[in-house]
Amino acid sequence: MSDKPHQNLAIIGHVDHGKSTLVGRLLFETGSVPEHVIEQYREEAEEKGKGGFEFAYVMDNLAEERERGVTIDIAHQEFDTDKYYFTIVDCPGHRDFVKNMITGASQADNAVLVVAADDGVAPQTREHVFLARTLGINELIIGINKMDVVDYSENEYTDVVDEVKQLLKQVRFDTEDASFVPISAFEGDNIAETSDEMSWYSGPTLLEALNDLPEVEPPTDAPLRLPIQDVYTISGIGTVPVGRIETGTMHPGDMVSFQPSDVGGEVKTIEMHHEEVDRAGPGDNVGFNVRGVGKDDIRRGDVCGSADDAPKVAETFQAQVVVMQHPSVITEGYTPVFHAHTAQVACTVESLDQKLDPASGEVAEENPDFIKSGDAAVVTIRPQKPLSIEPSSEIPELGSFAIRDMGQTIAAGKVLSVDER
Amino acid sequence: MGDVAATMKVMPQSPDVDLDALKDQLGESLPEGAEIRGSDTDDVAFGLVALLLSVVVPDDTGGTEAVEEAFAEVDDVESVSVQEVGRL
Repeated sequence: MSDKPHQNLAIIGHVDHGKSTLVGRLLFETGSVPEHVIEQYREEAEEKGKGGFEFAYVMDNLAEERERGVTIDIAHQEFDTDKYYFTIVDCPGHRDFVKNMITGASQADNAVLVVAADDGVAPQTREHVFLARTLGINELIIGINKMDVVDYSENEYTDVVDEVKQLLKQVRFDTEDASFVPISAFEGDNIAETSDEMSWYSGPTLLEALNDLPEVEPPTDAPLRLPIQDVYTISGIGTVPVGRIETGTMHPGDMVSFQPSDVGGEVKTIEMHHEEVDRAGPGDNVGFNVRGVGKDDIRRGDVCGSADDAPKVAETFQAQVVVMQHPSVITEGYTPVFHAHTAQVACTVESLDQKLDPASGEVAEENPDFIKSGDAAVVTIRPQKPLSIEPSSEIPELGSFAIRDMGQTIAAGKVLSVDER
Repeated sequence: MGDVAATMKVMPQSPDVDLDALKDQLGESLPEGAEIRGSDTDDVAFGLVALLLSVVVPDDTGGTEAVEEAFAEVDDVESVSVQEVGRL
């Protein structure tokens, strides 16, 4: 299984549109249901004199299985297609987990958006699509689910597809790249095999669409960006910053710069898993030391980058945000805490530049007086303390943030441009 | 809504911290409703070892923030970060 290229796949969509059923169905159809679950079923079936392996049983037991068998890898369910080995990133429903999805290590590469044919685009569909865009998901496969409930109607399918395309246009997802598949996760239509019920559809099945995804390239060629998690003083070594490389590579001898602390030097030694390495790349957790950089010179929230392409420090930055929950309204002057990579900095909303129409994606209002829950908007932000952040078009890994206030994640966004200090 | 499992990475203040004792202290600090279901360690660099904890919290309680804050208060903890979250 592990010989194949790997993909992290998010399953997103509105509650009750069939995400869990689809996950179960994918595992079932690819033979990825754990052997002991099948074995247990076989025994029970023999006792009761039943034959065959039923999908409903898988659904019941996977839920129970995950609850009981929780380990350090709990979050992960895996299956493979001819080409790829997939890990499912199953996103929690509560909005406060969004911060973890933005600042955490396990980012999904691509996503399946599940939209129920009998319900269409619902509030969480909209929110998840925006987040997918913000979180740097490249390709979206849209499963129009519950086709059995609408009697496999082509008209119903086309209506929902049009609705989803409108939404994608709003968040500037290229609809040319998105593939739509009419499915029934419950009945198994168009998952592994072409359904007999929808002769009007000639596209790929869901598994074929997953298999056709482009290969994920780690951002090795991008400039080095390593957000600093902690800074230690280790006896015999000196100052050791620790963090995970987001983009680019680091080698001993490289000249690096820490921003916004604005110090730098030459990398002496890099260690990973307690072993000295001569190269570290995206996703690697490293500790290293830099000639001439002391413990008090740098801090958590700094970004280490190559000296000749140093991390940007924002005087102000423009961003596209979606407001997920706010008890009242957001106006100019509002100063919540922004969480971006390892930094947490209070930032002021300096201006509300544009409010976007959720239905059309067009600019609904220039310089609105306020924005509220459910709104998408373009805003200009002024950090109250120096903050290193990048335009998401240049370095997406360092270009997204969550906004928190009153113990809640109230908005998420991505950086459009940075006005450097 | 069900439960959510989060893998939380706890960095000790120095390579000399006893991680077993630290894990016990973290367990005692947990807010109500949260539970440690598993633990592992991860060698980082220069003798530093991170503690990886599987923490289960209900999906409707508003995220991992309460656990992160409780852990951050424990002596010998340098930093707390959430590695990944997934639904159970």
